[in-house]
Amino acid sequence: MNRIATIWLWRAASFAVAASFIALWQLIANLKLVSPVFLPGPDRAWASLMRGFSNGDLWSKLAGTLEHMAYGWLAASIAGIAIGAIIGSSRIMRTYVAPSLEFLRPLPVSAIIPVAIAMLGLTQAMALFVIAFGAIWPIMLATIHGFAAVEPRLYEVARSLQMSRLAVILKIALPSASPDILAGMRLSLTVALILSVVCEILAGLDGLGHWVLLSARAFRSADLFAGVILLGVTGYVTSVAMSMAEHRLLAWQASQR
Amino acid sequence: MANAAKRFEVIPGQPRPQIAFSGVTLRLGGKTIIENLSLGVRPGEFLCVVGASGCGKTTALRLAAGLYQPTSGKVDFDGQPMLHPRREIAIVFQDYGKALLPWRTAAGNVSLALEAGGMPAAERPARIEELLRTVGLPGHAGKYPAEMSGGMQQRLQIARCLAQEPKTLLMDEPFGALDAMTRQGLQDEVLALVAASGATVIFVTHDLDEAIYLGDRVIGLLPHPGRIGIELAVNLPRPRDQLSTREHPEFLRLRRQLFDFIKATEQ
Repeated sequence: MNRIATIWLWRAASFAVAASFIALWQLIANLKLVSPVFLPGPDRAWASLMRGFSNGDLWSKLAGTLEHMAYGWLAASIAGIAIGAIIGSSRIMRTYVAPSLEFLRPLPVSAIIPVAIAMLGLTQAMALFVIAFGAIWPIMLATIHGFAAVEPRLYEVARSLQMSRLAVILKIALPSASPDILAGMRLSLTVALILSVVCEILAGLDGLGHWVLLSARAFRSADLFAGVILLGVTGYVTSVAMSMAEHRLLAWQASQR
Repeated sequence: MANAAKRFEVIPGQPRPQIAFSGVTLRLGGKTIIENLSLGVRPGEFLCVVGASGCGKTTALRLAAGLYQPTSGKVDFDGQPMLHPRREIAIVFQDYGKALLPWRTAAGNVSLALEAGGMPAAERPARIEELLRTVGLPGHAGKYPAEMSGGMQQRLQIARCLAQEPKTLLMDEPFGALDAMTRQGLQDEVLALVAASGATVIFVTHDLDEAIYLGDRVIGLLPHPGRIGIELAVNLPRPRDQLSTREHPEFLRLRRQLFDFIKATEQ
């Protein structure tokens, strides 16, 4: 059997698994093994999803969540790359600052949410801060690692060409660290989505998190599940988009393997 | 040591050396790598440096490049003290795989040197094409280094060095990692390129035949600490030829002398 046939067989098998999970879900709902108040069938969840889209409710919630996620993630990316570059390109900074980072990094972001609320209130600024704070770590640590791992020979090439410090960062260090940085950005994307939902729930900000919370409180289980499904799809689609961007940006790496 | 100092003395009527080591000593981590090295390299000269491993020949090259500063003594370039690396001095590293930017194509790698030299973007493509043709890589402009063979990557590194328009070309065992056939081809190409550009060359190698074949002068270093042990003028006709030069009686005589020297240092 050739390789392409094998790939398609695996795809068909994973699709069948997914389909049977949905069928099982439908079966459980139809048999009312769990009360319909808590568990809608896939049919009802789907209908709610379609209704939400056609009357525009879900679109605005989705837009709200994507906005929180995007702003927080972009802020984390810019700050994370900048700070990571400064720390990573200096051995002295790495020695002195890295231990502090190791202390801050495992700090659960949920622990700083009360701090952020106390300082910034239940505002968009609070959400931006919390999302960016949580999402910055994978990016910053990956950038530090990427900058520290630049081939020393390339710095010698740069010295012999008498390149400026800025040119060295832009033309040598940054591209060299880009595989690490992009991997960090992909991890952060998931963190940003999680924290967007958490902030929306806690601060009542417009978005899918808030929608899910209100639906649950009102026992609108179909709407609740529609929101959850949409969040899952958001996570999946953004991660696939990120992978595609990575693939394009790192096309040069394909030839190395 | 008096002898070494004499070698460096500027003799009236002789051109000023382009690169001059005067009493250079280098200590790194408490170890003396190079001791009291004095050496002048004339403009346009092709100087080969040989020696057993650990004799400091690569270190000497790095001093000539300005990548290291001597602990005592000084290195001059065109009569000016060498305080940092400079664009007129190009370095061809042995590990071409590490010295090229893997995320840039062949054209992009050559472009790096042109960008550093401040060439306007509009003029670069023509110059890049010319340089790639010079080193025998026409039609490979769009390839990434990883898609090229070792010999091609080393040619590419040479093209980037030529883009610096160097007065001096420093080569650190540039063909050490290549197979014999590729190496011979590249030796002749480097000789032709150097003859055309008039650049001064310091060429470090562990291959004694290669040193005699390429050089106007061969210096053999003694190890621990590195210092000059032998100096041979190579009076072989140019252009050199892979067959007739290597069969020349003078070539064989120098080869014997150099082999005896290396053998003696290893005991």
